[in-house]
Amino acid sequence: MLEVRGLRAEVNGVEILKGVDLSVGAGETHAIMGPNGSGKSTLAFALAGRPGYEVTGGEALFDGEDLLALPPEERARKGLFLSFQHPVEIPGVRMDRFLRAGYNETRKSKGEAELDPLQFDRLIRGKAKSFRMDPALIKRSVNEGFSGGEKKRNEALQMAALEPRLRILDEIDSGLDVDALREIAEGVAEMSGPDTATILVTHYERILAYLEPTHVHVLMDGRVARSGGRELAREVEERGYDRLTAGAGV
Amino acid sequence: MSASANSATAWAEQFHAFERNGAAGAPQWLANLRRSAFGAFERAGFPTARRGNEPWKYTNVRPIAESVFTIAEPNAEASVDLAPYELPCPRVHRLTFVDGRYAAHLSTEPASEAELRSGALWRGGDGPVVGRLADAVEYRVPLAQERLGSLASAEDDAFTALNTAFLRDGAFVHVPAGAVVPEPIHLLFIATGRSAAATHPRALISADADSSATVLMSFESLDGGAYFTNAVTEAIVGPGANLRLCALQRESAGAFHIASTRIRQARGSRVSSVVVDLGGRLSRREISAALEEPGAEVSLCGLYYGDGERHMDNRAFVDHAAPEATSSEIYKGVLDGASRGVFCGGALARPGAQKTVARQTNKTLLLSPGAEADSQPKLEIFADDVSCTHGSAVGQPDADALFYLKSRGIGADAALALLARGFMSEVIAAIEDGAVRQRVEDAVAARLGGGA
Ligand SMILES: Nc1ncnc2c1ncn2[C@@H]1O[C@H](COP(=O)(O)OP(=O)(O)OP(=O)(O)O)[C@@H](O)[C@H]1O
Ligand SMILES: [Mg+2]
Repeated sequence: MLEVRGLRAEVNGVEILKGVDLSVGAGETHAIMGPNGSGKSTLAFALAGRPGYEVTGGEALFDGEDLLALPPEERARKGLFLSFQHPVEIPGVRMDRFLRAGYNETRKSKGEAELDPLQFDRLIRGKAKSFRMDPALIKRSVNEGFSGGEKKRNEALQMAALEPRLRILDEIDSGLDVDALREIAEGVAEMSGPDTATILVTHYERILAYLEPTHVHVLMDGRVARSGGRELAREVEERGYDRLTAGAGV
Repeated sequence: MSASANSATAWAEQFHAFERNGAAGAPQWLANLRRSAFGAFERAGFPTARRGNEPWKYTNVRPIAESVFTIAEPNAEASVDLAPYELPCPRVHRLTFVDGRYAAHLSTEPASEAELRSGALWRGGDGPVVGRLADAVEYRVPLAQERLGSLASAEDDAFTALNTAFLRDGAFVHVPAGAVVPEPIHLLFIATGRSAAATHPRALISADADSSATVLMSFESLDGGAYFTNAVTEAIVGPGANLRLCALQRESAGAFHIASTRIRQARGSRVSSVVVDLGGRLSRREISAALEEPGAEVSLCGLYYGDGERHMDNRAFVDHAAPEATSSEIYKGVLDGASRGVFCGGALARPGAQKTVARQTNKTLLLSPGAEADSQPKLEIFADDVSCTHGSAVGQPDADALFYLKSRGIGADAALALLARGFMSEVIAAIEDGAVRQRVEDAVAARLGGGA
């Protein structure tokens, strides 16, 4: 589904990604771990098309198509979703109106019928319920004054509404209490299938109990330093990154 | 002869024709009011945008001064469909004017001849009097003579003078003491949009002691000519009364819209005004409130959206003439294309106006590098125990917010429209009446896009 080869990216003229390789197939879940500042969010943003994250080399193909040539909204409409590590607060823009706009534009791009406000309201209330999200939040400004956990729940809700195929979840588990973590992770697992793929950026092993990874990668200094299976995550948890790389003889 | 001299001659000819025709048969007081107003217009002439003429520094009305506008004749061809202008609520008091002329079939509760004759109609009762100014004059309603021109003086500026000189019809709204009107009062002014046509709509609003009402004035147009709307509103607000005013301006892209609203407030009264400028080639809107007794409270809010070459000038002024009165001004503009938005917020705290609280905010969201914003605060403080603040800010759409919206599949234009509407939402939220607020929200959505 996603082929990333030798991806290099700069932020403010500083090279952060120094040649990332990643191959994600349908039905797979890839956990990406790595120390703070190693470039995990930068990779996520570069794939989602955030302005200011300048790709200086390499390529990224989504279903064989050049992802990097598309503006962010078209990447989203094609089924790429980024759950933000730090969701953005947008004063005055109501959640339901915002999400309906994204939902309908995505439908329109596929030649599908748009939902009117009432139909969408029904849809979004159903999704909010399954994520145990307070329906009052849907009428509030996007993320404004949401607690850390509510923001993450909101990211999951948006994902549930947009039904993307490639889900990049940047630390969706940080800032969540244990119950919220389980609910959200189970929700994501439920929305997974043979046609979807997940890139799960995380610092903690706990979420992997719910979202069984098929692959685990450790990103260090802008490169994939090690790849492996579930056991690599346990090794990270036990030994930390310093000893991990030392052990790998890097 | 210069173009404006030409136009001055044309105005004079027109006024004399009006005196002989449309204005004939008026009571003496009104004839005098008109004549002295036209005199004031002839003496002052149209204002010029020049240095030293502070109120008109940013707005050039030469395109108006140099054109010849004539009082709009009834437009027999135009058929008006009310549906797009109706408020989403079951009950409303509506008075509709098409090209400045009363349209009974588009108004609610048109009064019969017999009712007009009876004094009872004009006294109101539990409900408001929502009638034609022309009727109030013809049937010698004392309030009309007493209050018309009491706040808006022809000496103020050329436009108020012209409006008064050509005063023929408009709205007469009287909310009797203690009356609480739950349904909105809608004054609907529709221009059929013929070029060179002028209308001078006038509204006289009296909200007596402890009354409560919402008045929406909307300015709509059917077509895109270079016509001229010149509106004047006077609102006299009694002790303890609560008056919510809203103006929704959706003139055509070629139109000139000049509007002036003067408010006088008694002890403990509350006025909330929200003005919304979405149309016109040039709009200039002045609103002022005189807080003449202690405990009065006024909130003046506005929003304006410009694209293309539109020019919007908003002025809000509060005269704190008594102690313990509170005022706030919040104006927000969204400017696209090569449009220009001007805001001048003013407050005067007269000697003795202790415990005055006056706040002013003006924020502009620039959507294009070609747009221009001017903001000018004017605080004059002659009392020592006051709290006055003002702030103005000009900014661009937040890049992080834009990316967040796009990352959900929202296209660039729709994302900008959503952000712009979010930016304006604080002002829209100040509209208390749900139906009026919904109407404004829909109008803003229709103008800016970004979905319902
Ligand atoms: N807008 C920016 N301006 C300057 N430097 C930036 C910017 N964004 C990212 N960086 C730098 O890029 C590096 C990688 O940041 P990134 O956010 O990708 O790390 P991360 O692996 O996600 O870290 P964390 O685990 O703390 O979330 C950091 O050194 C960071 O300071
Ligand atoms: Mg990060």
